[in-house]
Amino acid sequence: MALDVTNVVVEALPRFEGYVYPNESGTHPLWGFLIVLYPYITGLVAGAFIMASLVRVFRVKPLEPVYRLSLLTALAFMLCATLPLLFHLGHPERSFQIMITPHLTSPMAIFGFVYAWYLMAVLLLELWFDYREDFVVWSQKTSGIPGIIYRAFTLGVTDISEKAIALDLKLGWIISIVGIPSAFLLHGYVGFIFGSIKANPWWGNVLMPIIFILSAMVSGIALCVFNYMFLTWVRRRKLDMRCLDVMGMYLFYALVIDFTVEALDWIHRVYSAEEGFHVIEYMAKEKLFYTLSIGQVLVGTLIPLVLLGSLQIIRKYVSDAARKRIYFTCASCILVGVFAMRWNVVMGGQFFSKSLRGVMSYKLEFAGAEGWLMGLVLLSLPFIILTVMIKLFLSERLPTTGHVPHRVDDAVSEI
Amino acid sequence: MPPQVFRLILLTVAIVGSYVIARQLLTPPSFRQYGFYRGEALAEHASHTPVFAGRKACLECHEDIQKKLFKDAHKTIGCETCHGPSSAHCADPDSAAKKPDKKNTTACLRCHEANPSRPVTQKQINVKNHYSSQKCAECHMPHQPNEVP
Ligand code: HEC
Ligand code: HEC
Ligand code: HEC
Ligand code: HEC
Repeated sequence: MALDVTNVVVEALPRFEGYVYPNESGTHPLWGFLIVLYPYITGLVAGAFIMASLVRVFRVKPLEPVYRLSLLTALAFMLCATLPLLFHLGHPERSFQIMITPHLTSPMAIFGFVYAWYLMAVLLLELWFDYREDFVVWSQKTSGIPGIIYRAFTLGVTDISEKAIALDLKLGWIISIVGIPSAFLLHGYVGFIFGSIKANPWWGNVLMPIIFILSAMVSGIALCVFNYMFLTWVRRRKLDMRCLDVMGMYLFYALVIDFTVEALDWIHRVYSAEEGFHVIEYMAKEKLFYTLSIGQVLVGTLIPLVLLGSLQIIRKYVSDAARKRIYFTCASCILVGVFAMRWNVVMGGQFFSKSLRGVMSYKLEFAGAEGWLMGLVLLSLPFIILTVMIKLFLSERLPTTGHVPHRVDDAVSEI
Repeated sequence: MPPQVFRLILLTVAIVGSYVIARQLLTPPSFRQYGFYRGEALAEHASHTPVFAGRKACLECHEDIQKKLFKDAHKTIGCETCHGPSSAHCADPDSAAKKPDKKNTTACLRCHEANPSRPVTQKQINVKNHYSSQKCAECHMPHQPNEVP
């Protein structure tokens, strides 16, 4: 009996190495798994939106088949973006007070504004202008609950004359242009939250917002590739290889820029070797070896970089089937790698002592509010929402009006 | 004005309007009374019954232990540091459910597990190498750590 008790105690001991202040050697860091999910999900939103703007603003025609899918992906993840934070805070009974009593100067509270702006003024509006004509047509053809939903979404405007549609296109285009800086703001904000903590050498870094934006673009495009391939597979349709190749190309470009900036960040850290460098070095070599060197760098960056890069050169000689496999592998690797990157940022910053001379550890639990089961549930929620949305808004049974979002010039000149 | 723009403006007015109304109705009345929080919260916190009774409270019934404790290395440590919050026990000492924790080894380790950032006067052990199969109280008297049982 005595044996049990002491062994249990040894198990429950806080684990640390080196010089750690007594009040830091607790068993859990303050920010756990859910806070890792939060920048991951917001990043996917921003990235998927930028993917959609490639079509609308930058007129990349081959990407048309994924335009709506990527906007809906952004929306589905956006709807879940606050959940990890709210679950982390607890107290669902007073969570609404965040909305009711907004704080104007707290950086943490600014997320409420950034989020509301992005969801209400950008995403929903762009989707509405794009879908308005379809809603009108579908609401006349469909009965039952979907019909009611479509009718509600027309907001009672049934005008689908050519002039009205042209105006829709123009407004959608303007919103899309406003949307790009907004998407950067959304995720740059998350990077700012970490980058502005100057007392923490792992976080305090002006490049942080930029790194966050770039990795968000990479992960968002990868998610769109993943969703597009998965959806066509489920529907047993033929993939549009041209679209996939172009997505792969943009994924490659984004990855190159992301990789360069992150490498620059590391070169800068290593060369300037500031006060906290020893602990950072130790973290990278020992504590975060699997998530940083293996997860983030190897799986998330180098493997996709080599695969996608060589495809850019020898695409002609690779068969469709092989390219499909490569794109799917790269997208999945990147999704894992960017997740590892978020983990490294959020957890890494909490793993070392303020003395910069010791490190703590953290064991991810299965159950509990910050356990990985909870994380898995929160991460599958956007996919469930997306499935419902695809059923309603990307249904194969509902023919779309087929206007092309990027042909806004004609529309603009018509008005 | 084009109909879709007009509807959107209406919708915006409706959303902003309902937000303003919700703010009126749902903002806690004592919010901003003193600062950016509910004024009532102060009274709410003050009304909680303390779970710690303090060292003096134990004196009444456990004077012998107090005396022992004061003679030795642990004299500066409060009883509830090791025994946990015990005000419920003070109020109802006979209740078995409210008994303070007795065999709390974790409590010892909170102060004695080796950590170089602790003062040297606070003796340190590495619990894994320090008779870890037995309980601390088998070899040390918690109230008189200098003595040998
Ligand atoms: C009103 C008298 C009274 C006060 C005040 C009191 N105790 Fe006790 N305590 C008792 C009695 C009586 C017992 C013996 C109960 C038994 O053996 O069932 C006891 C037993 C204990 C035990 C042993 C429990 C066990 O499992 O055998 C501990 C530890 C203890 N008290 C700690 C404290 C601490 C710490 C305080 C001060 C916060 C305190 N007591 C205040 C009356 C009191
Ligand atoms: C350093 C930690 C520590 C402090 C401080 C401490 N105790 Fe204890 N106490 C223990 C431990 C451990 C036991 C269990 C001893 C055992 O199992 O043999 C214990 C046992 C007891 C018991 C059970 C009877 C006994 O003597 O074994 C009582 C009553 C008690 N303590 C009261 C007190 C009171 C009152 C104070 C404050 C004056 C106090 N303790 C301070 C650790 C502590
Ligand atoms: C709140 C912190 C604290 C807790 C909890 C605590 N101790 Fe101590 N202990 C000390 C300090 C401080 C000293 C040294 C005091 C001095 O010598 O100035 C000490 C000294 C000792 C010593 C050395 C006495 C000597 O020979 O000098 C032993 C043995 C000891 N404690 C055992 C225990 C055991 C067993 C427990 C658990 C029942 C325990 N301690 C819980 C703070 C604590
Ligand atoms: C098998 C008996 C035994 C057990 C069990 C035991 N100790 Fe000891 N402890 C000793 C002896 C003997 C010494 C003095 C010789 C030494 O330093 O090893 C000692 C010394 C200490 C010292 C003083 C170290 C110093 O540097 O002077 C502390 C503190 C201490 N023990 C705490 C604990 C704690 C906490 C536990 C429970 C996790 C514990 N002991 C369990 C036998 C034991």
